[in-house]
Amino acid sequence: MRKNKSVLLSVPYILWMVAFTLIPLCVVGYYALTDPDTGAFTLDNIRDLGMYMPVLGQSVLYSLISAGLCLLLGYPVAYYIAHRTPVMQKILYMLVMLPMCMSFLLRTLAWVGLLQDTGIINNFLDWIGIGRLQLIRTPGAVILGMVYNYLPYMILPLYATLVKIDNRLIEAAEDLGCNSLQTFTKVILPLSVPGIFSGITMVFVPAVSTFYISQKLGGTDTVLIGDLIERLFKQGDNPNLGAVLSLVLMALVLVCTGIMNRLGKDEEGGVIV
Amino acid sequence: MRKANRILTVLMFVFLYIPMVVLIVASFNTGKDITNFEGFTFGQYAELFRDKDLLGLLGNSVLIALLSTGISVAFGTLAAVGIHSLKPKMRKAVLSLTNIPMTNPDIVTGVSLSLLFVFVGTGLLSQRESLNFGTLLLAHVTFGLPYVILNVMPKLQQMNPALTDAAMDLGCTPVKAFFKVIIHEIMPGVVSGGIMAFTMSLDDFVISYFVTGSDFVTLPVEIYTYTKKPIHPKVYAMFTLLFGLIFVLMLTMNLLQLRSDRKRASKRPVSRGWKIARRWIAGVAAASMVVGCGFLFVNGRQDKTVLNVYNWGMNMADGTDGTMDLVAEFEKRYPNIDVRMSEYESNEVLYSKLKNGGISVDVIIPSDYMIHRMRNEGMLLELDFDNIPNFSYVDEQFKNPDYDPENKYSVPYTWGTVGILYNTKYVDEADVTGWELMWNEKYAGKILMIDNSRDAFGIAQYLLGYSVNTTDKAELQACADKLAQQRPLVQQYVMDQIYATMENEEAYIAAYYAGDCMLMMEENEDLAFYLPEHQGFNLFTDAMCIPSCATEKEAAELFINFMCDPEISGANMDYICYASPISAAKDYMEEYLAESEIVYPDEELLSKGTSYQFLSEETSRYVEGLYQGATKINSGSVEEQPSGRNFVWLAVAVLAVGVTGWFLFGRKKRKS
Repeated sequence: MRKNKSVLLSVPYILWMVAFTLIPLCVVGYYALTDPDTGAFTLDNIRDLGMYMPVLGQSVLYSLISAGLCLLLGYPVAYYIAHRTPVMQKILYMLVMLPMCMSFLLRTLAWVGLLQDTGIINNFLDWIGIGRLQLIRTPGAVILGMVYNYLPYMILPLYATLVKIDNRLIEAAEDLGCNSLQTFTKVILPLSVPGIFSGITMVFVPAVSTFYISQKLGGTDTVLIGDLIERLFKQGDNPNLGAVLSLVLMALVLVCTGIMNRLGKDEEGGVIV
Repeated sequence: MRKANRILTVLMFVFLYIPMVVLIVASFNTGKDITNFEGFTFGQYAELFRDKDLLGLLGNSVLIALLSTGISVAFGTLAAVGIHSLKPKMRKAVLSLTNIPMTNPDIVTGVSLSLLFVFVGTGLLSQRESLNFGTLLLAHVTFGLPYVILNVMPKLQQMNPALTDAAMDLGCTPVKAFFKVIIHEIMPGVVSGGIMAFTMSLDDFVISYFVTGSDFVTLPVEIYTYTKKPIHPKVYAMFTLLFGLIFVLMLTMNLLQLRSDRKRASKRPVSRGWKIARRWIAGVAAASMVVGCGFLFVNGRQDKTVLNVYNWGMNMADGTDGTMDLVAEFEKRYPNIDVRMSEYESNEVLYSKLKNGGISVDVIIPSDYMIHRMRNEGMLLELDFDNIPNFSYVDEQFKNPDYDPENKYSVPYTWGTVGILYNTKYVDEADVTGWELMWNEKYAGKILMIDNSRDAFGIAQYLLGYSVNTTDKAELQACADKLAQQRPLVQQYVMDQIYATMENEEAYIAAYYAGDCMLMMEENEDLAFYLPEHQGFNLFTDAMCIPSCATEKEAAELFINFMCDPEISGANMDYICYASPISAAKDYMEEYLAESEIVYPDEELLSKGTSYQFLSEETSRYVEGLYQGATKINSGSVEEQPSGRNFVWLAVAVLAVGVTGWFLFGRKKRKS
């Protein structure tokens, strides 16, 4: 009796989520299948898709590289934080969180100031006699922007799993004759797999869909799928094609997160940092 | 191993914080450029506090974050209780529904919500303004809810169900049991979910960018438009203050938590002080929500008419550099009207926004061909010229133009040309022979191309000798090929970003509008402007119109009339450096502008210019598609790039410096 009543509390929420997550996706689907001029049913938008595949491939490539770099750079940091005193852990955790709370637009803009041909780094290199390098508007700059912006998303879940590893396990491994490398590969690494996968997902998803980073740090050859969607909606005046690309992007992300979830199944989701 | 770890951690923190240091340093800079520290000042902070708009935007962001968090927390907590008592299968389904906004890329969520709101609002309910404060709030609640649910659910699962039963056995009603027992058990989850929802909402850019209307803009969305223009250092000042604020907040939160943890360890379950502090925090949060709602209510109930003016970026005098602040002047003359300005980058953006956006604005200033297009599609209202007596000041040659033959829909605002701006320090005068300069490989990577389909195609058409109003598909295709060929040489496709890039000599050559070029030439003496008269150039008129989505037509006409006052027009031109269609305005303009060859080219030169005409809906879309293809999509021929190599070297250098520094530092310590 009581249970039945509290079940009712979930009804408005379910309705809300259906109305604002499922139905919007259906609307996107509707736009994807209609002609921009006449509004009639058409498959033209989907037929044009092939043209955009290189851009999609490039987005996936860049964000995978970024996710890999984030893992390489973030793992030692997370490991380091997880092995500090509790007070130190709190402080370092806060320092990792802090950049996430500041405007990522302005922080990315600061990178423009650092990297551009007349920017801070190049002025410095010029001053010490090395001469100016082409830094901005290269794929490297876009990847740097992604790594910079999403590194905390890698560190935080990694830290969360690393800190939970029971120290006695490590001691046991050492007692049984493992050297530090073996302890790492046989004990620590396997236990941190869920954190690795949720970290990769959390870096990959925003990286693959970004448009601001590539607009600011990229050149004319580093257009990403997010750029195209943004342009098609905001200036290209072709929301229908934009809708198709959005669906493709969504499918891509779903497939990737599906794979990641399956691989790191030991722990559910891992969305909560 | 451990040492390497430590060095890397320090380097990573340096990496995370360097850009913020750059911004903080920039906030104390007397100059405008982030890369060049000219002198120390607190002036930017003073500027910031004088700028009511910027603080208002921050207020907007906080307001929407508070409201959406409040709703998400209340709604989400109740829903979590409901979901908790669902059957496992159903629960799983609902939780995967909850996961959709979490796993979907922000851009897809933003796009899908904006399409939904426009589809329902404009399509089904025929609202004028289907994107507004309400839809923004809906969107924020929608992405805030999952955070609350996902944080509360585990707490509910951990809770002992016997607790509720005990409470009910002791005579509590279910509602009472919820407030007396359950809520205390799940509080930590509610708080952390709320904090997450709040930070996400406060800092959200992507979703807000797609669902924002014209009536309510949040700070991140406005910062996005700022970053396309030369950004004012007072924005950095605000960043610095926010940084300080958030830093202190996080620190106190951590310290409080640490203290309570320690107290808990020393057996006292929850300290009284912490209990009181919690009550205070809740009290302050509730009070600020009430104040926020009150603020909103008052704001919504203003007696003033709100006039939304939608204009090009940097296209109206705003009081900086000793010019007249036209909005303030207008509000002084008409105290009942509150003018709100917002900006677009190009005619195409304006058109997209009005066509798909579901926004409501009262005055727009499109160019000739776009006015024609909008007129054709019924997107403009007929003006009542009885309310615009100052129209009589407009020169005869600008009345009844081709794009509006009976002059029913538009009143000219400015006119001008599109030419080439180049830096004489780097560009060989001998190369300045015509539009082919934009294709000169000598300046590869230093060329800025104008970022809108019509002007870009226009330039290709002048170069190839086609008519700018051609509808011939073969000719258009040839233009697209020409633009694709140019792409490897182009540094960026820009509109308002051109200012910073040309002024600090990041690029040497750009095609742009004459007025803006004049402004840049005032900032950097080495810049020069060139009109390729032998090939032809675009001659444009921008005119004020009232779109059919307008709600305040009379106030809009008052505004248009005000802008036609010769004195006002003259003062305006002093700032924007374009030519006024009102000759009488020249008397009020600065002499050097009124006599400038760039602003007012002579008759002979003008005769070489041509204006764009509206082609057709189909051709416009065709051109747009070609443009996107030519300028945005990899044509496969990616030539060799320095790509990542420079970054690898840079990273190696930084690492080397870090390691040596560490060893030096470490040794010193050991000695002492």
